Amino acid sequence: MRLIGGSSRRRTSGSRSYRAQSRTGTRGYGGPGRVNCDGQLYTIEGIAAALLMIMTAYLVVNATSVYTAGDTHISDMQLEQMGSDALKIMDTPLVENEKSPLQEIVENPGSVNNATFGSMFLDLTNLRAGSGSDHIQYTANYTCRIHPGTEIASYPLSYSRNLTLGEHAVRVTKWVTVNKGAVAFCGTTNVERAVLVEVLMWRD
Amino acid sequence: MARLNDDAQWIILMGFLISFSFFFLAIVINQSTVVGQTTAESVIEFPKNDIRDISQTISGSVNLLSPDNQTVKQDIVVIALNRKNAVVSYTIIQPAPPSDVHSHAVIHYNNGVTEYNENWTSL
Repeated sequence: MRLIGGSSRRRTSGSRSYRAQSRTGTRGYGGPGRVNCDGQLYTIEGIAAALLMIMTAYLVVNATSVYTAGDTHISDMQLEQMGSDALKIMDTPLVENEKSPLQEIVENPGSVNNATFGSMFLDLTNLRAGSGSDHIQYTANYTCRIHPGTEIASYPLSYSRNLTLGEHAVRVTKWVTVNKGAVAFCGTTNVERAVLVEVLMWRD
Repeated sequence: MARLNDDAQWIILMGFLISFSFFFLAIVINQSTVVGQTTAESVIEFPKNDIRDISQTISGSVNLLSPDNQTVKQDIVVIALNRKNAVVSYTIIQPAPPSDVHSHAVIHYNNGVTEYNENWTSL
């Protein structure tokens, strides 16, 4: 069956076919570079092959996404999730109705680099299955409101390394309720207070 | 040039049609990379931890008596605004037995990107 150049019936009818006429017509211009209907299938095949190649290249190029500088927040948020989980574990009491380790740390921070916070936080974030540990560093402080009023104050709690401002750190936070009893805390005594523990963490 | 045999053009045409339809299906699959990435990003950018944390702190303070509950409320509102750039507002409704034995907390959270409202009820 033919697509172009008339029906097969006309073709078989002899020299009166459309194709034969057109060939005679174009032949009038003479020369070997005459225009005729030969090679149509080759042309279609060529166009199809070109399309196939272009579309294949398009698909291959599109199948991957390039990791650009703007995409670093994806790995940042994984780090942030791990830090949030660690702080949540630290704010969970070991025994029901008792204070959580994080509450005890904030209530009695001791000297500035609190060792309990450091070992607990680094254990929770750095431990990995298999050999070798992760290289997460942190610096932690807590913020409370000075009662009465709307002023806030931040106090350092613990750090594993000094910030050199070159780190690519993420910030994780945890609300902790604190009651220091008769000891004054941020302007009050014997009152429950909500403080925000903030941890900057980064990978070395 | 050899004489071209133009038989079986329909078969070849159908072959082209089928192969191109495969390509369009491949484009649909191809989009899954982009779609997956955007979805994962929007999921990960939701302040899930902040909201859970503040909700847990507020629900943990419903049983505080005055003036402790007012102090904690001021703490949360002031520190959330200053350190977390989030506007937090909540109201605690104490139980009124015998008709209602549950405490309720109506929590509003807005950090400029995500607005979240919760009606928390104690067990």
